[in-house]
Order: sequence, then structure tokens, then C-alpha cells
Amino acid sequence: MTVTARPASPARIRVPRLGRNHEVMTDTSDIPVIEFVRPMPGFPDSHRFALVQVDESGLLSTLRSLDEPDVSFVVVPPAGFFPDYAPAVDDVTAAELGITRAEDVLLLVVLNVGGSLDDTTANLLAPILVTHDRRACQVVLDDGAHPVDAPLVA
Amino acid sequence: MLVLSRRAGEKVVIGDDVTITVIEVRGDVVRVGIDAPRSVQVHRWELLEELSRTNRQAASPGDDAVDSLREALRAREE
Repeated sequence: MTVTARPASPARIRVPRLGRNHEVMTDTSDIPVIEFVRPMPGFPDSHRFALVQVDESGLLSTLRSLDEPDVSFVVVPPAGFFPDYAPAVDDVTAAELGITRAEDVLLLVVLNVGGSLDDTTANLLAPILVTHDRRACQVVLDDGAHPVDAPLVA
Repeated sequence: MLVLSRRAGEKVVIGDDVTITVIEVRGDVVRVGIDAPRSVQVHRWELLEELSRTNRQAASPGDDAVDSLREALRAREE
């Protein structure tokens, strides 16, 4: 199955927005908790993450580990930056996540935030898929075509 | 670690349903074929290692860095 970047509609999964002091998360009751069916490589102990929007436009979000509170990732839907990005997801992962249609998943890529926008890169090798029922997986695209450090803006 | 010597064409079986075949040995390159159920993830070690490293590098950026990225993206949209 091919998940295209284009129709990735964040609206399908409501991501709450936090204010400017986003490091302060006092009430987590309405924060969607995402459960990874397999942990992200490098973080075997983090299974549950809170997905929180950090800007007004809904572009930038963080995935904050609930199992290791110091661990967080900045993620974006790739559509606005990599319009041709259409990762193919293997059947096993699709089955594991219970997805049958590309429209049913939120596609996110992890950013390596640099000192400036020009130094910020996106991991296109291993995008994160999030389903309606809030299960997620970082998929490894072992096809040699996707860099781990694509510049976010050309 | 279990160390086995195998010739081209010979196999190693792991568990009930994973079979590794040595297909060809040429110089310092060994080609192996892996038969495994689709539910078993098979990746080159280097790829997963690179992904682990990239994830660790990307993890937990400072609030200042996230703030400036947000501002830079906002400025870019305007």
C-alpha cells in the first residue's frame, strides 16, 4: 500500500494545541495518547506518546514520551515540504496497524531540529504512521530511496 | 555467539521458520538469502543502527530550538 503525503489530513486525528509555554503540560486528560505497536529504534522503553500541536497553523507537533518524560520528538506532516513523498507501507505493518486505506492514517516525519531552518532535516527513511485509534509505528523504508536527513526546506 | 562454518549452498535454520542460505561467497562479500515469515522484520544492521542514531539525535530538542523553528516556519509562510 502506498501512503501519499498529499492527502495526509491531520484533521482526521484531532491534535490539541498548547500555548507558547508548551513545556508545561499540566492537564493531559484530553491529549491523545499514541501507542507504538513497535518502539522507535533507539528508544526501546518508550511505547506511549502524547501528540501535541505546538504552532497555530497545526504544522508542527511534538511526540512526547509518557514512558520516558525527557524524550520528545518534533514531527510534521510531510505534505507541505515533500509533496512527492509517498512511502509504500508493507502489508505486515498495515495489518499490524489495522489500516486498509491510505486515507485512514496520519503520516508524520521526525525532524532533527538544527540551529536554523536551513539546518533542520527530516527523516524520510522512517516516517511515523498514526491510525484513527491512535496506534503508531515508525516504518523503515528499506528501498534505498529515502534519506534520514533530507533538508526540510530546499 | 554461535559461530558456524558454512559453504555456498548450505543453510542455517533459526527456530521453526527462519532459514538462511549462503548463496555465494566472493572475496569479502557473502550473499545470503533469508526465508522468514512476513511478520519477521529483516533489515540490514547498519540501516537500523543509522535509524537509532538519527532518532537519538533528533530526540528532545531544546524549547528554544523548537520556538525558533516555529517562528522560522511562520515567517516562511507569510
